[in-house]
Amino acid sequence: MSEMNIDIKHIAKLARLEIADDELEAFESQMKSIVAMVEKLPDISDELKPDPDTPMTLRADEAETDKFTRDELMKNAPAVKAGCLVVPKTVE
Amino acid sequence: MELFENSAAKLSEMLNNKEISSVELTKSVFERIKDTDDKVNAYLTLDEENALNKAAEVDKKRAAGEKLSPLAGIPIGIKDNISTKGLRTTCASRMLESYEPPFDASVMTKLREADAVVTGKLNMDEFAMGSSTETSYFKKTKNPFDLERIPGGSSGGSAAAVAAGEAVLALGSDTGGSIRQPASYCGVVGLKPTYGAVSRYGLVAFASSLDQIGPLGRTVEDVAMLQSQICGHDKMDATSAYREYPDYVGLLSEDVSGLRIGIADEYFGEGVSDEVKTAVMNAVGELEKRGAQVKHVSLPSTDYALSSYYIISSAEASSNLARFDGVRYGYRAKEYDGLVDMYEKTRSQGFGAEVKRRIMLGTFVLSSGFYDAYYKKAKLMQRRISAEFSEVFKEVDVIAAPTVPTTAFKIGQNMDDPLKMYATDICTVTVNIAGLPAISVPCVHEDGRLPIGLQLIGDRFAEDKLLSTAYAYEKTVGGFRFPKL
Repeated sequence: MSEMNIDIKHIAKLARLEIADDELEAFESQMKSIVAMVEKLPDISDELKPDPDTPMTLRADEAETDKFTRDELMKNAPAVKAGCLVVPKTVE
Repeated sequence: MELFENSAAKLSEMLNNKEISSVELTKSVFERIKDTDDKVNAYLTLDEENALNKAAEVDKKRAAGEKLSPLAGIPIGIKDNISTKGLRTTCASRMLESYEPPFDASVMTKLREADAVVTGKLNMDEFAMGSSTETSYFKKTKNPFDLERIPGGSSGGSAAAVAAGEAVLALGSDTGGSIRQPASYCGVVGLKPTYGAVSRYGLVAFASSLDQIGPLGRTVEDVAMLQSQICGHDKMDATSAYREYPDYVGLLSEDVSGLRIGIADEYFGEGVSDEVKTAVMNAVGELEKRGAQVKHVSLPSTDYALSSYYIISSAEASSNLARFDGVRYGYRAKEYDGLVDMYEKTRSQGFGAEVKRRIMLGTFVLSSGFYDAYYKKAKLMQRRISAEFSEVFKEVDVIAAPTVPTTAFKIGQNMDDPLKMYATDICTVTVNIAGLPAISVPCVHEDGRLPIGLQLIGDRFAEDKLLSTAYAYEKTVGGFRFPKL
């Protein structure tokens, strides 16, 4: 499997990353060697089940409205207008 | 002896006896930072004004006769992936260069309740992805024992600051060895707690099923002090364990008679240097002289741990880091054409090469047609590794192993070879895979030699046994000695 072709451009698209053409070759060779390393795993015939040692208890889905102000939450946003996050137009 | 050179336990006693004030101590630590951090580069952000204000507040409380925590007035440095309200938290990434969290991580709430003094934020590998602190966007931290060498990573700033006297204690995080490995390279003590023992709320997530916050200090007792303060159930973390925790300092014991120590050949294989093997086995010999019993055990799936680790951690990272899109917080590219282009340019400019590699690997192993071959196999292997540990812990109390296969390497030496860099995690990742606690305690004590760590691995929630074993060893061979800076 280590000789497989890894479609770097397709994976980059899925990951929302741009890989420049001049970086492509180096990236592909590094990815191939990493994949060759990680695929050395034997087949284990078993099912994946939740781990009984680490049960997760989900909290009640209740809105907590008094923890942060809108201004506090928006303070780190790259672009804000009239109390809203600004993004490029997506609907014509 | 300068104030900053003392252990947290000693300083706590001096503060309590009113021999010193927290303001004096905090000034001493900041003087040290001014003297040495140009060389060490441990800090990304200093918070001197708030630290001195906090110290003055603690002194006032003490003068008024308030009952205070042992950590009250003690200067502590924080790894820069732990959210600190109003104090820049960058994860050593361009992506979060000017991010100021609107909230405190739960561990920070606990430290503030204990009246600890926060010195500032410590350098790390970008988003904790790396083993040398060289992937930081901002600067390269140096090993205080040899400034041409790496301090380890990803909590390299935390380990270097403690070793250099630029913090009395520090918090780090450990996903595949990121507390223990830099502790080993910098000659300090580092504890990776059991998964679920310390809340992850407010720790910027890398691999959520493996990440754990933990303490670093110059002595085992100091690490026990900090761990006692930060552990505990937290409703803000769904994976936080429901249980009561002891005061680990009160449980420290030098008596190791009857303690069963396991040695697994799998941890002494190819790649582990003779120098490291000898140092670790000598340390085990010291414990044996004090009455511990040594037993050979086998953990046959150890060879598969590194593969499983890089699959699971990268898969989780690719999902966790999807949130950095330039919309709600963090970096946004200056020029773009439409929403998707904004995402792509923001992420491509905001993340460094190692973070991109991990996101790409994670995206690949989770992508259509490959999930069963990689992620599912890795998760099944994780279960097998945990089961092997459970069997071994029926026979022994702790497992002794090297923390890292070699001593610290030169800066730049492994930067072009990700696989070589990943291989430095070979002795530490199994612990994260199995959710176990482990401690690294220094086992080289001659001047002029680079530090080496003895790693002790315990069963889930057996931090008390690890701390006591490390404490007994430290008492036998002597403790930390400052490097010449």
